[in-house]
Amino acid sequence: MAHLPPEQLEHVPDPAARKRARKRAGERKPYQPNRGFWILLAAPGMIWLLILFVVPFYAMLAIGEGKLDRQTESPVAVYAPWQWSSANLGNVWRDLFGSGAFVGVIAWRTIWYVVVASLLSLVIAYPAAYFVARFAGRRKGFFLVLLIAPFWISYMMRMLAWIDLLQTNGYINKVLSFVGLGSPDWLGGHWYTVILGLVYGYIPYLILVLYAGLDRIDPSLIEAGRDLGLSRARTFARVTLPLSRQPILTGMLITVLPMLGDYYTNQLLSGAPNTSMIGNLIEGQLATPSAGQGAILSLIVLLVLLVPMIYYVIQTNRAAQAAS
Amino acid sequence: MHPREGWQPDGTRRRPDLSRRQALQRGFAAALLAGGGATVLDACAPYLVGPNNIPLPRPNNPVTWPVAGNKAIPNGMAPEKGATLQVYNWVAYINQACVNSFAKKYNCKVEVTTFNTMNEALSKLRSGLKFDVLMGATIDVLGDLIESKLIQPLNHSYIPNIQQAWPDFRNPYYDRGWQYTVPYTIYTTGIAWRKDKVHENPYAMANPWKEMFFQPKYKGKIAILDDYREGISLGLMMNGIYQLNTTSKQQIDLSRQTLQKLSALVDMQIDNNDYSEVPDGQTWIHHAWSGDMAAAPSYMPKGVPVEVVGYWFPKDGRGPVANDTNTVLRSSSNPVLAHLFVNYLMDEPVAVENISWNGYMQPLNAITPELLVKEQILPPSLMSTAVLPSDFRRGIEELQLPVDADALWQQAWLVASNGI
Repeated sequence: MAHLPPEQLEHVPDPAARKRARKRAGERKPYQPNRGFWILLAAPGMIWLLILFVVPFYAMLAIGEGKLDRQTESPVAVYAPWQWSSANLGNVWRDLFGSGAFVGVIAWRTIWYVVVASLLSLVIAYPAAYFVARFAGRRKGFFLVLLIAPFWISYMMRMLAWIDLLQTNGYINKVLSFVGLGSPDWLGGHWYTVILGLVYGYIPYLILVLYAGLDRIDPSLIEAGRDLGLSRARTFARVTLPLSRQPILTGMLITVLPMLGDYYTNQLLSGAPNTSMIGNLIEGQLATPSAGQGAILSLIVLLVLLVPMIYYVIQTNRAAQAAS
Repeated sequence: MHPREGWQPDGTRRRPDLSRRQALQRGFAAALLAGGGATVLDACAPYLVGPNNIPLPRPNNPVTWPVAGNKAIPNGMAPEKGATLQVYNWVAYINQACVNSFAKKYNCKVEVTTFNTMNEALSKLRSGLKFDVLMGATIDVLGDLIESKLIQPLNHSYIPNIQQAWPDFRNPYYDRGWQYTVPYTIYTTGIAWRKDKVHENPYAMANPWKEMFFQPKYKGKIAILDDYREGISLGLMMNGIYQLNTTSKQQIDLSRQTLQKLSALVDMQIDNNDYSEVPDGQTWIHHAWSGDMAAAPSYMPKGVPVEVVGYWFPKDGRGPVANDTNTVLRSSSNPVLAHLFVNYLMDEPVAVENISWNGYMQPLNAITPELLVKEQILPPSLMSTAVLPSDFRRGIEELQLPVDADALWQQAWLVASNGI
């Protein structure tokens, strides 16, 4: 067989002849990934997931479907599915849809808080991330340090600081009074304080993700938009914004998921029943005989959270395909 | 819930109480009504039993716990030498100075390990953790501790200071013959308020439990304790129901509805920060524990006199009262020192020193409100936080409930505390 160009080698029907032809052509065998090697590399991550996600998930399910130890009034996990009890599930169903249902109001309240807080976060975070990515220049490192700085302080400490700031005689009210805006009772159990806390608590995550995405946008694409006669605003709307769709999606997911399960912010900055979120409801059931119901409710929240997760995965795959 | 749930080792409470989760089985004893001292029978019928048929101690159903197979230590033993006494206690529930002075007196070391909830303590003890002394054990878990043989009977010869305790606690209904326990702290649940902000006087009201809280003009400045027993009990008392161990679904539902109405009317907050929020003016009316409010002077902002803080507990004693106990664990490897330690804490000077830091009173004859004022532990304006023997004779204790009734209370609180 005469020497064939590589693109024609694949059309040689006999594998042995194809191999000989390749040898003659001096072509090396196409790279075949070593499956075992990659499995080995993935193993720590898989074990990590197994220990810290799959096992706890099943433990939670076992508690939710388990029984109550009447002596200690604490839930007992039942790991054998054939011994599961539907009592907790029934109780959660009653709380969700029964005559005395009360969980729905809290769920809607949670969604409302999270939507508002997420949008507010985006409105604040995007310009900040955009500025650092596009205009910070040599001070980019400095601004990045500033963005990361909140992570050096624990979430609890940051929220505790807000309590001092928002107290009746706190600094915020002192400033507001000084400019004649009165002294709002921030910590009196108000929805806006909870949303403020959520925004403050989770915005660093959003800014960092947005920054990472915006920083990767090829400046030549923006220049091309300008060269083609688009105004700054239209360049932003037609080029930058579409290209930052994926970072926005990622950032929102990273902030929305923990916000939905958050209970501490509300507990700290409000503590009022009328601002209670689904996380507070679940937390309130821990260490009580209703812990099994809390486990079921947690699993339901997890299932609900899977929807945006799946949407994110689909969008990411689509973006990856479009890019390739 | 115990007032020390959620406290940190430095003597402050996590804010908010991280363990908002309620202790399951806070139960105490003695439910007596004022006006003749009639016993509250509500849910405390003598035949009531708890989980695994363990009797539920009630004032009208005193319990003598069995000691068979669980012998006390013999008389006349010398304290263990060079020992390290292991004490298991609530967070921030003992003055370290008292611990140090005991260690010095008996030439030993004392290590205090802390827990945040009674359930946590029980779980760890059941798992085999070994300590010598369990401090602050609540009445409701005594049956469990004894049935599980986690604590040992006391040898009274090592604890002469029991004579200093109030007579009611020398033979309490929850442990006849004080076979396993000695009393530790006592407290009442009442209403704290800022006198400079709230001009209504609870002492002039027909039912302050209701009238103090149902004041929409103080919207956003009212808070109740984050505890299912205290919360639902408050709702009951708002309706004039003083059966704080009721098993009646109707009454529990009524309490829940009342709390929900209150929440809608005044945007009440639910937390256990009474000790700091009232002094600093964050809340003006707070459902409160007496021991917390006794500590108010430490939390007053600069320039604000402590006299602006008031604490109301019904003069007729018709309100919630509680106590907890100290015990010696069966796993103790230093049982003599353990006995001496619980005895030491009932010595008057030691108790005074302990109260000066802890805030919670101990039921000892010499510890009077007058003494606490004289020792400048308590400001005269907060003398109402002091607990008297008569409070325990007339007060109402939130006792351990049968499992099914407890579930009703928990569910009602879950709904009420989430503001539907």
